[in-house]
Order: sequence, then structure tokens, then C-alpha cells
Amino acid sequence: MKNRYFFIPVIILLMSAAATFTAPAQVFDELRENMVRTQIKARGIDHAPTVEAMRNVERHLFVPTARRNRAYEDGPLPIGHGQTISQPFIVAYMTQLVNPGPGDKVLEIGTGSGYQAAVLAEIVDQVFTIEIVSELGESAARLLKELNYDNVEVKIADGYYGWEEHGPFDAIVVTAAAEYIPPPLVDQLKDGGKMVIPVGSPFMVQNLMLIEKNGDEITTRSIMPVTFVPFTRKE
Amino acid sequence: MTKRLFFSIGLLSASIIAFQLILMHILSIMQWNHFAYMIISVALLGFGASGTLLALKSKWLVERIRVMLPLLMILCGLSMSSILAVSEWLFGTFDSYLIFVDTDQLYSLVLTYLAFFIPFFIGALAIGLIYVAYVKKIGSLYFADLFGSGIGGLASLLLFWTFFPSQLPAVIAVFPVIAGILLIPAEKKRVFTIISLASLVLPAILYFNPPELKLSEYKSISKALDLPDAQIVKERTSPYGHIQVVSSGALRYAPGLSMRFKGEVPVRDVIYSNGDWFGPVVSWSREDTTHFLDYTTNALPFVINKPEKVMVADAGTGLFVAHSIVRGASSVAAVEQNRVAVDLLKNELAADIDSLFSHDAVRLEKLQSRSYLLSDTSSYDLIILPTIETFGGTSGIHALNEQYLLTREAFKDMWERLTDRGMIAITTWMDYPARNTLKVLGTLMSTLHEADVDDPGRHLIAVRGWGTVTFVLKKTPVTEEQIEKVREFSSSKFFDPLFLPGIKKEERARYNMLQDDNFFELADRIFSGPEEAEKLYSEYDFNIRPSTDNRPYFSQFLKWSRLSHLAEMFGTGSVPFIEVGYLVVGITFVQITVAAIVLIILPLFFMGWRGGYRAFTVLHFSGLGLGFMFVEIVLIQRFVLYFGSPIYAAAAVLSAMLICSGAGSYFSSRIEGTHRDIVKMTGIVIIFILLYGIFLTPVLLSTITLPFLLKILFSIALIAPLAFFMGMPFPLGLRTLSVHNNTLVPWAWGINGCLSVISTALALIIAVEAGFFWVMVMAALAYGITLLANYAKR
Repeated sequence: MKNRYFFIPVIILLMSAAATFTAPAQVFDELRENMVRTQIKARGIDHAPTVEAMRNVERHLFVPTARRNRAYEDGPLPIGHGQTISQPFIVAYMTQLVNPGPGDKVLEIGTGSGYQAAVLAEIVDQVFTIEIVSELGESAARLLKELNYDNVEVKIADGYYGWEEHGPFDAIVVTAAAEYIPPPLVDQLKDGGKMVIPVGSPFMVQNLMLIEKNGDEITTRSIMPVTFVPFTRKE
Repeated sequence: MTKRLFFSIGLLSASIIAFQLILMHILSIMQWNHFAYMIISVALLGFGASGTLLALKSKWLVERIRVMLPLLMILCGLSMSSILAVSEWLFGTFDSYLIFVDTDQLYSLVLTYLAFFIPFFIGALAIGLIYVAYVKKIGSLYFADLFGSGIGGLASLLLFWTFFPSQLPAVIAVFPVIAGILLIPAEKKRVFTIISLASLVLPAILYFNPPELKLSEYKSISKALDLPDAQIVKERTSPYGHIQVVSSGALRYAPGLSMRFKGEVPVRDVIYSNGDWFGPVVSWSREDTTHFLDYTTNALPFVINKPEKVMVADAGTGLFVAHSIVRGASSVAAVEQNRVAVDLLKNELAADIDSLFSHDAVRLEKLQSRSYLLSDTSSYDLIILPTIETFGGTSGIHALNEQYLLTREAFKDMWERLTDRGMIAITTWMDYPARNTLKVLGTLMSTLHEADVDDPGRHLIAVRGWGTVTFVLKKTPVTEEQIEKVREFSSSKFFDPLFLPGIKKEERARYNMLQDDNFFELADRIFSGPEEAEKLYSEYDFNIRPSTDNRPYFSQFLKWSRLSHLAEMFGTGSVPFIEVGYLVVGITFVQITVAAIVLIILPLFFMGWRGGYRAFTVLHFSGLGLGFMFVEIVLIQRFVLYFGSPIYAAAAVLSAMLICSGAGSYFSSRIEGTHRDIVKMTGIVIIFILLYGIFLTPVLLSTITLPFLLKILFSIALIAPLAFFMGMPFPLGLRTLSVHNNTLVPWAWGINGCLSVISTALALIIAVEAGFFWVMVMAALAYGITLLANYAKR
């Protein structure tokens, strides 16, 4: 049985090679199409520009190379610095919630991988995105430029202050939620504008909060993603 | 030789216990404190597996004992100093948050687990070898072993005050090496002296160049340190935790702030303890007339009344203390157990908070809040509790922390401390699915029902913002004027009343809408009365039944029976994050049980054994392995409340238990040690355990007001008799076994180790599921097994 000294290492080597193997672009296209079908449309995302954007943006390019093969799985993935690239469905849901359209100007707080900015950029005229962690911001800016998202501007700064010179915005997407909503962001939201914030642990199916500004009045609405089945109810 | 042997075994045991506590401390800094259970089990697994090796190779090892003992002790020291650095270097640092999403992390965790096993295994092998070789002197040796462990527990506290966490393994590693040097055989003196001196070089290098402790990137402090210009401006090390103050131009704090707030949320430094959020250093001045908390739901009690005498439980950095003073309180009792953080705020950071903790109106109490409540006789107009959970949740990492401040009994104590105009205020973050909010509500309602108030609904007010809910429990019914004030406050801040006498349905979600009415329906069921609440507690997918002193796990919500249902609803990938702490203990339990069986029990079946006494060995030593740890864990938990500090409780109980058990073991060498003797001793232990199970809590509560020193003496007096008798059955059993079938001695050592491993995790699971009382009952049953084993052989 000396053969085992040969076969076992070979099998292990093959297995590790398989783990780091990156699928060709065509495979990713299929995976993406499948993601749109099973994770986005099947769960009720019916905002056509959002669905189209999810189909167009190559999510795997925004995922760290080592995890690229899992880019189209139904879940968030770590991207370093304690941050994640959100679950595809959450990205789509947040996008649909702010109801973006051509001509809109959107502010994103927390660029992270740049994926949400790219999805928004497929739909609206201008996306301004702010990232506080310089390594993440720089790498996202580089990638978005490489992918020719010329309508996205990335700034490395404290998102607290928003981006006053480009405001007011039709929508604000806060991807890195904080325990308070910075007053400058509320100020930079257009009358009738919408702001969306995810709430919850980064690896949980997240709850979303939609903030709407109507004149002087600001209302919030908690929205559980449709994948949730409501909890025990009184029959 | 004998004296040196006793000293060596004591020194080695002291270092092993201290090293175990050091690893627990380091892992709670790098990851989270639920890994403490992993370390306890790794240590005990090391002991169990060493028994297996001894059983398989005892002849070979005993023949070479003069060389093996010093060698093993020196190797144990070397591995202690280097294992952290080596495991980080070889396997990288695992991140517990990623274990469920990244399989590489799992391998890294398992390899780290195995690496940590090494020093314990080597150390335990040395101790076990001594037992096997000198079994006739087991009583005195076991005494030295336990006494050393007791001292090690106390010494580690001293080390935590003196050295930085990353230096601690190198410091403690010196002691096993010294223990080894003491046993160097005369004929090998030269070789061993060189080896010993060389082996001190590594700890020295690692002391002066300690390995960097790589923190999980999901720890609060890691995220803060990623902010621009972030830096650690102050650092203190202590048994209370590794305290770090982080400063950055982007650290702000304004939890659940109303969207009516138009000012600037100021930048402030933040204090972290073991890398976890402790509190913000909130700039405050005695001249302030407003406070940003006025724009949060936390302001609710001050809207209802103007409280003069306030108690702030778990005061942290003093945020609520400052708010109370700004809102006109004339006397504030700030209760906080973390002395190091409080001293930092009182002295070096005093200028930042305008000497808040030295303010004439502030009385600082450095105790756990519940212990303070039990020992204090003052009355308060307002008791403010700490905010429950954090924004976005902590994924249940605190699930297994005993929270004696949030039990039904604690609320009853608070209710009794209230003046006629008194209130209890508690704020929780909204969580999805609702757990904290419902459990708080259930606890408050049960307080009102127990107090037998006429119309409970008129004693509770709650206001909900976009992220938080503040509940206020009032001693007297809410007046119409107060109701009006609450309505005004809510609409002026874009908040919504949740509970208010006479509330209309549409008022509840005017500014902050929920997707549907489910949350309101659930809350109303709890509010409507005990019967409906009880039905909901049984039906709901999470455990939201109010916690009690017997099961003080407020943040534990997971029901094992609903796990598959939750997986169906949230997806299997998300489930671990609903309650990672308890799930880790569950997984640890299964994994330890399997590992213990594979590493400890199975090999012993292959070795074969001669003679009888096999059933006796299994029963006698399993009973002891289970029973001893069950009792120890319950005592630690009970004394946490008594001393108001988990660290001192653990140190006091561990040391008193081990030293007194050691004394019992020493005494056991003076009695004949027949099965009849063991039956008697075990019987006494069982009676003691049952008495302690019933009377310990009331006895502790009735003496909690004693001065600290008297409490220590009293607790030693309480623990001593039980521990003394618990120290006897193990050495007596080993001695009996050595007479009847010597080959089974190492096996007995292994079985005892194996069951001790399993019992640590099992005790916790029983405590969570059934309460501490039942852990004591199980301990009595475990000793009952030992008793029966001896009764059959008498």
C-alpha cells in the first residue's frame, strides 16, 4: 500500500488547486443570470432597472480573489476591515427601495467594495460615494474606474458630513449603518427624497430602514426583506 | 527529593491554572469571551489524553521518570511561552465571526485548538506520571497539586495587574521550567543545566518581543482603529480587562438620536475593554443645561418627572450620570464594577468630563449593580438601567453572560428601592426578530404583577424611536398631565408612544412605521396579562421568558427545538449569528465529547487490562469528574453576585475550592480508605451539595451587606467543608485501585479528565436550560454514582 504515499498528496494538491481555481468569465455570466433569476426576481424584486443593473454588474470583480468563486452565492462575503459585500438580494432590495431613475443623483455612505455604487451607477446619472477606510475607498475607486463607471465619484472621508457641494440628493444609501443618523445627511436629502439603511449583524439576513423626508416631517419605516416569514402570530 | 517533588508538582499545577486563565484572557481580547469554555475544555482534554498515554506507556515512562519529569516540565514551560506565537505563525489567526462563512477559518480554529492542547498535555503528563509512580503518597501529592492550582488562580490576578497580555505567556512559562530544574537528577546535572538555561532564553525573547495579538476585524476596537487618524491614547491592563482609549477624528456617539436634532454630533474618545465597546468619553461641563440624550428616548423619565435622587446601574463612562445632573438630579449613585475604567475617568480623563465622577452630587460605587442593590438601603426617584444590546445587535455573543441585573428578582429589588414618585427606566435597541424588547417588557410586566398593583397598565410607559425603545415603570399610576407630556415629547422628537394609558392604535406608528403590526401584537399579548404572556413564551421561536436568578441569562434566546425552523426562515448561513455564543458552547460540547471519547476512552479499550475493578473504575471516576466541575461552576456563578465582581468571585472560589480540597486530600492519607470510608465521605458530599443547592443563595443574600473582608472569610468558611470532603474520594479511589488493580490507575486518571472536560460545557447547558439548582442536583447524582460504585464493593 505504498501507493497511498503518492495518491493522498496528489489528491490533496488537486483539491487545493480546485479551491483556488477561478471560473472563466462565461461561467460567471451564467452564475449571475442564475442569481438574478433565483435570488432577485424570484423574491419579488420587480423594479426593472434594478434587475437589469444586477444582471449587468460583474459582482465577482468586487469580491476578493480568494472568495471570487462564491461571489454569486446567496449571502454576504467578507472583504476585509470588518466589512462585507452585502448579499445580492439586499443590494437589489435597497436599490429598489429608493426607487432610482435616470436623472437622479444618489449619495452612498460606505463604498466598501464599490458594488452597490456600480449597481446604482447603472441606473442613475450620478453616484457620489464616500468611504472612510482609505484602503477600501482607494481599491473601490480604482476598480470602478477600470470598469468605466465614469458617473461614480469616490471620496475618502468621514461620511458624517455627506457631500454638501453635490447635494441635495434624490436618494441616500447608507451601507455602513451607524447608531445615529447624521443630521447633515438628513439636510442633504431632497424634499420627497429617500434614505435607506440596513440594520443588523453583517452576516444575518438584514432588516432595512427607509427614511422619507416630506417637508419638515421625517418618517422612518422598518422593512423586513421578503425572505422573512413573519413571526408567530396570534391566530 | 520528596519535598522538592511536592514543591515541583505545586509549582507546575500553579503555572498550568495560571496559563489557562491567561489564554482565556488573551482569547477574550482577540475574539470573544465564549472561547473561555474552549480553553477550559482544551486544558481538561490535555489532562485526559495524558492519562491515556500513561495507561499505554506507563511502564516505559516510570522506568525513566528521573529524566522524564524534569524534561516534561521544561518542555511544558517552553510550549507555554511559544504556543501562541507559533500557532499564529503556522495557522494564522482564526476569526470567530468568519467560522460559519469561511471553512478555512474552521481549520485554523481546529489547529489552534490542537496547538493550545500541547502545553496542557505535557504538563498533565508530568503530574499523572508522578501519581502513577508514587501512588502510595497520592493524598499528599494531590494536596500539593490542588494547593498549587489554588495559588496559581490567585497569582494570575497579580500577573494581570502587572504585565501586558501578550507578555503573560512568557512570564508564566518560567515557573514550569523552575519546577523542572528542581527535579534534575544528580547524574545528568550538566546536560540538564544547559537545557534549562537554554530553555529560559525563549521566554526571555518573547517577553521583550511579545507576539502581536491580532484582534478579530469584527471587534469594536478593530473597526475604530480603521478610522482616520485613530490611535490608542491610553492603555491599562488589569483583571477587569485590557482597557484601551481610542481617539479618532471620526468617532461619534449619539445612540438613537432623533432626526429633529440639528446640532453637531461631537467627536469623542471611546473606551474599549478587551477590544469590546465600554463607553464614550462624553465631553460634559458643569455649566451644561442641555444634553444630546434629551434628543433620544432615554429622556423619557425626565419628561415624566423631575427625579432628585437617581441611581445609574452599570454607569460605564457616566453618560447617564451626566444626563441626570443636567436634568436637575441632586444626588446620583453611579454604580460601576470596572474599577480600572472608572479610575481612568476619575483621574487622567477627568478634564475631558469636567471631573464628573468627583462632582458633589455623584457618589461612585465600584461594585456590580445587582450586588449594590442588595447591599444598599437607599431609596431612589429614578433607577436607570444600561441600554440593552447595541445597534444592529451583537449576534448573541453575550448569550452566556450572567446578567443578574436583568432578572425578575433584580427588578423586584429595584421596585422596593423606589420612592413614591420613583421610576425604573430601561432602553433597548429594537431587534429583528423581536427578542430583547419583548423580554424586557415581559420582565417589567411580571414586576408589576408581583407587586400586585391595581392596574398594571397605568404604571408602564414606553416610547419608541427609529432604533430604540425606552420603558419607564412607575411606582404610582401615570397622571393625565404626564400622559400629555409624553405625547408632546414624542411628537416633538419624531418618536411614537408604544405604551401609554389611553393610547390609540394610530399613535403607535406615526413617525416610525413597522412593516406590519406583528411587533405590536406580540407586545400587547405580554402586556395583556400573565396568562397570555405565558402562552406566547411557549409559542414563540425564541426564549423571551423573563430570566431569573436561577437562570440569569437575559441575552440567551435560542430554543434548540426551534433551530430547524429558524434555519428554514433565515437560511442556515444566518442562523449561527442569531446566537453565536450559545451555539459555540453547544458545538464545543459535541466536539469535546467526541474528542474526549476518541482521545481518552477508545485507546484504553485497545490496550486491554488485567484483573477486575473495571466497572468500579468507570463509575467511581466518572462520577467524580462530573460532580466536581458541576459544583465548582455553580459556586463561581453564585459568588459572582455575592462579591459583585466575576474576577474576584472566580479567584476566591477556585482558590478556596482547590486549597480546601487539597487539605481534604491530605487528610485522606490518614484514613484507611476502604470502600466503606469512601461511601461515608461521598455521602457527606452529597448531603452538602443538596444543602448548598437549597440554602446557599438565601444565605449569601442575607450576608451580602457584610464588609468585603468579612465576606471573604465567610465565603471561605462556606466553601471549606464541602471542598474538604470533595477532595477525598479521588485520592482514596486511586489508592484503592492501586491495591486491587494497579494497571487501571492511569485509566482512572483519563476517565476523570474526560468527564471533567464534558461536564464544563454540560454544566453550562444545564444552567441555561434548567437553572443552577438543577446543576447542583446533577452534581449530587454524579457523586451518587461514585457512592454506588463503592457501596457495591464494600
